Amino acid sequence: MLSRKTPLTTLLDSPTRPGAVVARRWELNLAAMTNSTENTPTPEQDAGKTDVRHLFEEQAIPFMDQLYAAGLRMTRNPADAADLVQETFVKAFAAFGQFQQGTNLKAWLYRILTNTFINNYRKNQRNPYQGTIDELEDWQLGNAESVTQGRSTRSAEAEAIDHLPDSAVKDALQAIPEDFRMAVYFADVEGFSYQEIADIMKTPVGTVMSRLHRGRRLLRDLLSDYAEDRGIPTANARSTK
Amino acid sequence: MTDCGCDKAKAELEEYLHNELAKDDAADIAEHIATCRDCSGEAHVGEVLTHAVQRACKETAPEDLRAQVLLKIREVQATH
Repeated sequence: MLSRKTPLTTLLDSPTRPGAVVARRWELNLAAMTNSTENTPTPEQDAGKTDVRHLFEEQAIPFMDQLYAAGLRMTRNPADAADLVQETFVKAFAAFGQFQQGTNLKAWLYRILTNTFINNYRKNQRNPYQGTIDELEDWQLGNAESVTQGRSTRSAEAEAIDHLPDSAVKDALQAIPEDFRMAVYFADVEGFSYQEIADIMKTPVGTVMSRLHRGRRLLRDLLSDYAEDRGIPTANARSTK
Repeated sequence: MTDCGCDKAKAELEEYLHNELAKDDAADIAEHIATCRDCSGEAHVGEVLTHAVQRACKETAPEDLRAQVLLKIREVQATH
């Protein structure tokens, strides 16, 4: 049924070849430093440090807009999102020596972002769903399939969702449980595979599928409701076109 | 209900839309969707939903955040 996609080896926009060379040089410098007993860095070691920072700035920093967007969905406010992103980059930079050049940097950064969020922010938030959300049955989440089918044709529903303002979509995203929201975000906005999302969220692939599918179901129902409440026709019979 | 392919298509639609199906399975679903109004409508709603989320989630980080991060990284480097 499911094809396990070969993990993308690289999603980097920037050329990796020169970077890899720099990284190798850095490893040598690192080895030189650990073996060395003297404390004062040689000019060569300083140069190695600068190379690593340049490499990080060139490869990791371009993901800032995306990480910020994800941070906004997680923390729900700009100030916390900015703090979260800053902390993520600081941690990522400190651990950059352990990052394997040629593997998926974007997924690696998202893993750090998610960990940082869980450790620093989630425990401060009141989330009534936490810990139990995956065990909830569909009926408890309001599986509205029958309702949706009854009230509109699918083409009208698609049309209505297509024309909703971004603010309505954001509100709906904020309204669904966090684990569902982030699964939807990782899959639909970032285009991560189920396996990559499983690695980022540290859950089995089956849980990712469940969160993603139920999250999208909830989102669809919320958006259709929103459209109907505002008189945006979701049924062909009421459409003036 | 006889299975004209709808059961399989509906069950695997999400995986299909997210490119998670093996080639043969994906081809089966695509073939069914091409001929089934109901399932093609479902698939279309799914695609529209993805686009709506993508559109709504486009953000640009504040300008001072970039400057702050670059500064922090230099600080971290200085202490290592």
